[in-house]
Amino acid sequence: MWLLAALALALLILLPLGWLVYVSVSSEGGPTLAHYGKVFTDPHLQRAIWKTVVLAFWAGLVSLAIGAPLAWLSARTDLPGKRVIRGLVMASFVTPPFLGAFAWVMLAGPNAGLLNKLYRGFTGAQEPLLNIFSMPGLVFVVAIYTFPYVFVMIVNTLELIASDLEEAASILGAGRLRVALTITFPMVAPAILSGFILAVLQALALFGSPAILALPAGFHTITTQIWALFHYPPKVEMAAAFSIPLLLATALLLLVQKKLLGRRGYASVGGKTGQRRSIQLGLWRYPALLGCLAVMACAIFLPYGILTKAAFSRAWAQPMTWQNFTLGNFRFTFFEYSSTQSAIVNTLQLGIATACVGGGLAALLAYIANRRIILGHQFLAFLALAPLVIPGVVLAVGLFVAYTRPPLLLYGSLWILFVAYVTKEMPVGYSQSDATFRGIHPELEEAGRILGAGRLRVLREITAPLARSGIIATWCFIFIGVIRELSASIILFTPSTKVMSVVIFDLKEEGQFGAIAVLGLFMLAMTFATVVMMQTALGRDVLAAKE
Amino acid sequence: MPGVIMKDLIKRYGDVTAVEGLSLQVKPGELVSLLGPSGCGKTTTLRLVAGFLKPEAGEIWVGDRCLSSPTTVVPPERRRMAMIFQNYALWPHMTLAKNVAYGLRFKKGISTADRARRVKKILKLVQLDGLESRYPGELSGGQQQRVAVARSLVVEPEILLLDEPLSNLDANLREEMRFEIRRLHEAFGITTLYVTHDQGEAMVISDRIAVLHKGRVVQVGTAEELFQQPRTRFVAEFIGKTNLVDGVAAEPGVVARGSLRLRVASADLTPGAPVAVSIRPHEIQLVGDPEARALGENGENRLRGMVQRVSYLGDAVDYQVQLDGSDVILRVAAPPSLRFNPGEAVGLAVARAACIPLTEGGE
Repeated sequence: MWLLAALALALLILLPLGWLVYVSVSSEGGPTLAHYGKVFTDPHLQRAIWKTVVLAFWAGLVSLAIGAPLAWLSARTDLPGKRVIRGLVMASFVTPPFLGAFAWVMLAGPNAGLLNKLYRGFTGAQEPLLNIFSMPGLVFVVAIYTFPYVFVMIVNTLELIASDLEEAASILGAGRLRVALTITFPMVAPAILSGFILAVLQALALFGSPAILALPAGFHTITTQIWALFHYPPKVEMAAAFSIPLLLATALLLLVQKKLLGRRGYASVGGKTGQRRSIQLGLWRYPALLGCLAVMACAIFLPYGILTKAAFSRAWAQPMTWQNFTLGNFRFTFFEYSSTQSAIVNTLQLGIATACVGGGLAALLAYIANRRIILGHQFLAFLALAPLVIPGVVLAVGLFVAYTRPPLLLYGSLWILFVAYVTKEMPVGYSQSDATFRGIHPELEEAGRILGAGRLRVLREITAPLARSGIIATWCFIFIGVIRELSASIILFTPSTKVMSVVIFDLKEEGQFGAIAVLGLFMLAMTFATVVMMQTALGRDVLAAKE
Repeated sequence: MPGVIMKDLIKRYGDVTAVEGLSLQVKPGELVSLLGPSGCGKTTTLRLVAGFLKPEAGEIWVGDRCLSSPTTVVPPERRRMAMIFQNYALWPHMTLAKNVAYGLRFKKGISTADRARRVKKILKLVQLDGLESRYPGELSGGQQQRVAVARSLVVEPEILLLDEPLSNLDANLREEMRFEIRRLHEAFGITTLYVTHDQGEAMVISDRIAVLHKGRVVQVGTAEELFQQPRTRFVAEFIGKTNLVDGVAAEPGVVARGSLRLRVASADLTPGAPVAVSIRPHEIQLVGDPEARALGENGENRLRGMVQRVSYLGDAVDYQVQLDGSDVILRVAAPPSLRFNPGEAVGLAVARAACIPLTEGGE
């Protein structure tokens, strides 16, 4: 059983990657580097690479600018309503970015955007105030859903630094600013930098927001370009060749981030048991709170508001009156639009199957690695975390290539989506399970063994009950990840295997904003229901558990 | 009741050798402590015996069964052993009664009623009756400790293994539990291996102590043997306080260091070989300068020196005495009735039998 699990993992990861590399250098006349040559000389593709770099860098920077102050305020000060703020950061974390992007199209589209209409109404100006279909607009929308990564990294580190480390510096004569600059900042610096890198990684891999905002603005990013290469006639070789640089870039960034975190050890020395005293903000509390609320307005209140409004309106851009009120959007979405019902069923099936099978596999692998059951267990963690460096679109290209030919013909069925999701969620599942098993002291199992219980019995009677809440949380994490997945699905779906995110994307092409809003809210409701389930299972703040 | 035989065990973790050719025999019904500083390989040895680890070389025998060798390791669950862990390893999701009853489920021929009866009996023995339905999280440290003991004893194991079971208790309770464990051992007579880094604990609890250093057994013996006849420098320093004087074997029964000549307990020394001499602080008798002149030789050691530092410890006074014409400083534990001041000249009398030459090992 142990070996089988390890083998399944290796197959899951290596097969698509292997095919990806193979296809990128193959042609009818044998091995070739021609595809790479084309990729790096085609001005369109070059432009897409450049735009992606700009987007990722700025999105990372803006995420940092939002996430870092918010993290400090929430971890170290007496800011009022800290729990609520954390809850809202969590909400922004689980909000599918493409839904946010849709909402912002309705808020800040140059013509009909609500905010622009308000602006015109107040000032009488002709020009729109905001244009979301632009690079700054895209950066903004990406950042407001990416900053939680920075937030979590920094909060976790700040909470490990005991106040006495800072007080030791104070008593030696360092002023407040000096303490911050010479003690606190250097200890948090690795977390800040690695948070930045995580945000950049997210922005690099993102498909939905660029597809919604960059394409109307007239430019491509790497991910949308790869998607476009799949349009008829599909140029799979080019897509593969174009995927490899993105893969290498994310791998490199993740390597740097790991190096940074590997040295983080000293930040936690003497932490944990140490007390933390919060800094008094005094009168600054209110401006600080206002700043936090402004961020939340952009990420949560305004988008959720406009989605709700659109869901209940005949015309989303018109004022909310009784004439404009309707439940028709719900009827249209759930009963009249042909693909919705099957998409919901597909999504649920895939979500549950992936969470069960993927979560089970991840738990098994994490257990093997933790208890060193098989030879070469060190490589399991590496393999299981490898999909982190594979952007969804790239993974999809690899899977497409791997499973559209014998021996495994999965393309066209739900199976290929299932495989994609299991692979993509493996890092989340693995790291969650790993943390769970780490928390269960091996002595508890050994005590069972020495008293006469075999390994499997101990696993069933001792380990499993102790790991239960951790495993449920892992299940929820994977489920949430699956129901919002767009970037791999958009390449792998066929008309009979649409999922909810794909339907939302289709509806956009048709300009059905009301239906998008309805389906989006439905997706959010499912997500938050799962989050609540997970909170109950863990009995604590979920953000705190996320590394 | 079988004993345990460990033969030339070797265990490596990567490049680090944790156990390096360890051999030890535990007689049936005996309690032997594995004593040593952290990193000496004592816990690794215990885990080898338990079957959690596989040796690179060597064998472990219990009675006529070979349990561990580089080719086969009988899994822990089939060794008929029990183990008490440092952190007790009580299962937090099971009640006290379920924790204790767990091992009985795997013993054949015990009915449910019989099981309940045995659990009740053992809980009474460790004074935990009435707490059956509590969870481990609701018990004090001392109570948890006793649950761990009960859980191990109730299965009537052939071999009992204990891994620093008292290290998480506070000082008073620890003292108390030493006697408790000894009492239980005398009541049950189970062959027992006990791992500890605390020499006091080992001396109270054990029939014999095996002192481990760098993955080997350096000396085995009763507490008294180890204290009075240490064979290596390591044992002399690890068990109790001592003075070590490095010198060279001179004529039979004498070790020389410069002009200092010590008559030692053994005559069997190779002349010219380096020898360390161990002298316990309480074996040295201090006398005032006038009396020192009056003391006869009688074939014992008579030395002179000057008091350098005096520390009053209540039940004894700790002196540091610099010997005349030598770089040697001796610590002396003297009764408080006799007082000397720093700078005072004193005489020292040390019996030949109290000067133990250490010939084994370079350290």
